[in-house]
Amino acid sequence: MSERKVTFNREQIAAYAEASGDQNPIHLDGDFARSVGLPGVIVHGMLQMGLLATVASEAAGGPDKLRRLSVRFAGMVEPGDTVTFAAKPASPGKLELSATNQRGEAVLTKASAEYVE
Amino acid sequence: MVAVAGRTYPAVQFEIEPDRVAAFARAIGADPADGVPPTFAAVYSLGVTAPQLFGDDEAAVDFARLLHAEQEFEWHRHPRAGETVTSRGRVASDMSRRGMRFLSFESETTDAKGAPVCTSRTLFVIRLEVRPARAPARS
Repeated sequence: MSERKVTFNREQIAAYAEASGDQNPIHLDGDFARSVGLPGVIVHGMLQMGLLATVASEAAGGPDKLRRLSVRFAGMVEPGDTVTFAAKPASPGKLELSATNQRGEAVLTKASAEYVE
Repeated sequence: MVAVAGRTYPAVQFEIEPDRVAAFARAIGADPADGVPPTFAAVYSLGVTAPQLFGDDEAAVDFARLLHAEQEFEWHRHPRAGETVTSRGRVASDMSRRGMRFLSFESETTDAKGAPVCTSRTLFVIRLEVRPARAPARS
């Protein structure tokens, strides 16, 4: 079982926005985020998936072993939230993945990976 | 808005720059020494083709009402920093029901020799404008 716990902050969101090129203001501008009905800025789903991929890579024996990764973005994650990303073997070459916030809610569901052994 | 299932977009080339890869790795807490992080496909595959969909007036994707609902990447191999890859975007399906539009978008990435690198499959959900219900016809 590989696991990683991350408490998100605005600096990490801004760094991901810059590196990924996803500068959607819902991730960076609280006033804008609230104007479209969000509680405030939210963490990129792809940043969460990126963190999950690091845990899956560790369980698979290296990032180059990953062959497939899929997730459903099921819940909003805000700065200050702590998410635990975990990977555990499901069957040969397959991993079962999870991402759970500090309230025990799954923020990523239907999460799985396949890798070459 | 018209349903745009089956629509394809022109191929886009992208150079995987080492500095950008390193910044991306640091942002997700990965070791830059481990090479191109798998989900850098969000940049070299989905990231170069999705803007074509969003900029397509006929597809009329309302960006402010767009949710990235599901994402899958399938890698044939992981690219190396310094490579130039080519991605082609395609709308796999486009259906609206109960005030929601479900748009499946795929991006196929190949290397300089045309060999497959990555397939990205995305489900976008767009909340449609709610139209006021029609007044019942008078009898």
